[in-house]
Amino acid sequence: MSKHSKKAKAFLKDAGYSEWHDATFWAVREKRDNMSHGLPEWEQLREKASQIKLHTLSHLDQYLEQFASQAEKNGTIVHWAADAAEFNQIVFEILSSHGVKKIVKSKSMLTEECGMNPYLESKGIEVVETDLGERIIQLLGQAPSHIVMPAVHLTPDQVGELFEREGISDEIGNHDPTYLTYRARLSLRNEFLTAGAGMTGANFGIAATGDIVVCTNEGNADMSTSCPKLHIAALGLEKVIPDYDSLAVFQRLLCRSATGQPTTSYTSHFRKARPGAEPMHIILVDNGRSQWIGNQQHWKTLKCIRCGSCMNTCPVYRRSGGYSYSYFIPGPVGVNLGMLRDPRAHSGNVSACTLCKSCQCVCPVKIDLGEQIYQWRQQLPEWGTEPASKRMLCKGMSTVFNHPLLYKTATGVLPKKPFHSLKLDKDE
Amino acid sequence: MSRKEEILGRIRAVIRERYDKPSLDDLQATVFPDPLAAFIAASQTAGSKVVELATGADINETVRGLFPEAGVIASNLPEISIATLNPDTVGSAQELNGTDVGIIRGSFGVAENGCIWIPQAMKEKAVCFISENLVILLSKTEIVNNMHEAYRRVDLGDYGYGTFISGPSKTADIAQTLVMGAQAARSVTVVLV
Repeated sequence: MSKHSKKAKAFLKDAGYSEWHDATFWAVREKRDNMSHGLPEWEQLREKASQIKLHTLSHLDQYLEQFASQAEKNGTIVHWAADAAEFNQIVFEILSSHGVKKIVKSKSMLTEECGMNPYLESKGIEVVETDLGERIIQLLGQAPSHIVMPAVHLTPDQVGELFEREGISDEIGNHDPTYLTYRARLSLRNEFLTAGAGMTGANFGIAATGDIVVCTNEGNADMSTSCPKLHIAALGLEKVIPDYDSLAVFQRLLCRSATGQPTTSYTSHFRKARPGAEPMHIILVDNGRSQWIGNQQHWKTLKCIRCGSCMNTCPVYRRSGGYSYSYFIPGPVGVNLGMLRDPRAHSGNVSACTLCKSCQCVCPVKIDLGEQIYQWRQQLPEWGTEPASKRMLCKGMSTVFNHPLLYKTATGVLPKKPFHSLKLDKDE
Repeated sequence: MSRKEEILGRIRAVIRERYDKPSLDDLQATVFPDPLAAFIAASQTAGSKVVELATGADINETVRGLFPEAGVIASNLPEISIATLNPDTVGSAQELNGTDVGIIRGSFGVAENGCIWIPQAMKEKAVCFISENLVILLSKTEIVNNMHEAYRRVDLGDYGYGTFISGPSKTADIAQTLVMGAQAARSVTVVLV
């Protein structure tokens, strides 16, 4: 049994909870369907999005250069980080050179990937997540269970009790989501006003203009960059796209695919610092991406725009939850990204797939996620991570099929017994 | 060799096949028989209130009528005389905290999703987010059909910042329950002029 299967088994023990989890994500999938069915050009948009990504990734050297030189012309300071450690160090150096002790940040899976928060905290810098879901799991010391809805696994009671412990809410026992959201608003408002720097990720970097584009519903990226005098933006190399015409295609697909809304409340373009503020810093992070582009079988996974729709539709994700996967990004795209990152560490996730390919039917950039997982499974012997029982079974079958006499003997014996009476060894 | 050159060199070395940029000319994007009606409907779905400024009505009286209790009103628009704070002249963004109503101008609206393009046109853009209630003045003749048309018009202006806003700040992070008023404006009123 794979690591994922073991954790999934534990997840499924609470039948009521797992049914709720399944239904919750299926409802998001249905909202996405309502959106896609409402646009006659939906499939054309997906095809264009896929083609733009293939074009951009296969010209990434050129687009990155263009993006960086535009951004520098706008007066921003562009940094290049080879890996997570270098990225964390760059962030710390920028913060310490400005004497910053506290930062507010909007959601960024890249900073999660790089382990930035614990690193900065070890250096004495307070990091405040400002997306409500991220803030909740930060206070609980948990990792996100979903890339778009990071705290979806928690009940209002769990959040309410947390807020009571943290002194965020003062009406004990009031666990109404509207009340809790309001109390978090008040608490975070104070953080925005007193932080020394704001940090954002990026949904897109625009090569033609040097803009960083951040999409949020809460407006927390805008709050994080409106009050503090310093803005640091972090983006993975693959986030750069050519121009505004391309952005229009992705903007239309992203939120419809992610949450089933026609748009996020805010689609914000950051080109330079506001008056009186310090110059904006942009950190371009490689951390494996320049190698993955050269992976002939799997480079197309880099087309991902992190909408999370592959998770919402995945029958395995819905019935096993984000924490059953060993990589910090769960679901179909997480299985693939984890294998690109470290196949030995994350082989256990490739079993978390029924090959139904629902994921690739909803993926807004048409990544062949299911096909990719199938291919990873074929590659497991390269790292010696295929399950021993399956290796034995395949070896045995290969022997039988390669020896006609053995095959005839075996098939001559087998049909005499009805299939259901055969005693099969229990799977390990 | 710089980190930049090192990273770009690695990418150049591994790219095998270069794909062409697709043309978007054949994209059959949705257009509306009545873009203004579609914009109003999309704005309401996003949680905005939409009001039309009556002919001859005064914008200040209209806003005052919408928010009779408002104490602090922030705006740098020349036609707004009821403002008590000006985002151009405040000493810091933090001073705008506590604003009951912020009044700003949008350049154009997008029919398909209720987005309004707001290029930064004030020193402290915080006014667009920190205000409890946001009022956006928008010309009803400035409506485009979809984001493709919108991005042909996007101009960030001299401040180098702009945002599409569609409805109030919202979240469903607690148990998927939709709540208006997360970290930014708790209500958005679009005043069509």
